[in-house]
Amino acid sequence: MKAIIQKKVFNYLLKNEVKNFIGVPDSTMKHFIDEGLKKNKILITTREEEAIGIAAGMSMSKSNSLVFMQNAGFANSISTITSLVQLYEIPMIFLIGWRGFLKNDAPEHAKIGKIQPKILQALSLQSKVLNEKNWKTSSDWALKLIKSGKPCALILIRDFID
Amino acid sequence: MIRKEAIGIISKKIGNQSIVAANGFISRDLFEINDKNSNFYMIGSMGLASSIGLGLALKNPKKRFFIFDGDGNVLMNLGSLATIGATEPKNLVHIVFDNSSHESTGGQPTISKKIDIHSIAKTLKYKTYKATTKNELENILRKIKKIKCPILILIKISKSKTTSKRVDIDAIKIKQRFMESLSNSS
Repeated sequence: MKAIIQKKVFNYLLKNEVKNFIGVPDSTMKHFIDEGLKKNKILITTREEEAIGIAAGMSMSKSNSLVFMQNAGFANSISTITSLVQLYEIPMIFLIGWRGFLKNDAPEHAKIGKIQPKILQALSLQSKVLNEKNWKTSSDWALKLIKSGKPCALILIRDFID
Repeated sequence: MIRKEAIGIISKKIGNQSIVAANGFISRDLFEINDKNSNFYMIGSMGLASSIGLGLALKNPKKRFFIFDGDGNVLMNLGSLATIGATEPKNLVHIVFDNSSHESTGGQPTISKKIDIHSIAKTLKYKTYKATTKNELENILRKIKKIKCPILILIKISKSKTTSKRVDIDAIKIKQRFMESLSNSS
């Protein structure tokens, strides 16, 4: 996704009461994170599960949170999603990069990229794939869900090879 | 001192201040000995009590948060101690009940006899304390009242033969009553 749209997504979520952006960086969403760093709104953690724990504490303080991660980190987080986020019904938005979407992405991303939609489905974690046309309606959808107390995921496709 | 005694001393001393209790026997002991709405009992997600506590502490700077953790939990999520040191919450008290074992899963050893959690926390910018007796623990609890930086208290406990009952409150109920206690105590 283009840098300018990534920045727009960040600013739109910030304007709409997402107060905390916590996670582990992913080059797929570099511009989203850079925009947050510029505004001093990003907390980078050592692992993704840690970010989810912090977001859970913030969310229970009635402060809306987003947790960002690559899909490798999403794979790390499955037990935390089931036994903390879903068990206690703690709302938060996950922003997950989709490595392995392109067939010629690096080999370590191939398997997780292939099974990512199935994992989301198996978790019953509602998700939408962001693109340059739907980013605003998808963000609104996610904001509405967390305001009604439900976690959800926005997926950012890795559409380039470096 | 066994864990249940230490938990009893601390939870009575701190009144209605919030506690995030790690899953397993730590939550069970706290639930049995001093159940309160301001206790957040973890059921799963081992290792994350300190992360949840950090999120709470950063968003509620006027309240103090106590984390009841175990040596196994801390070793599983050491990165969380680094993040706590880096964010420097002034209102977080991290209590580690150290019996050098995974008691909740059958008493298998942890590496805390060989690795000093207290020194790690000190390096990570916590103000640190160590207790082995009830007297030492009570003294430390008096001392920390006015300290405004992340605090870690390592309590050496002995293994216990008694097991507390399971936390039988539904997870969503645990969350709801904890959140109510947060907004009521402001």
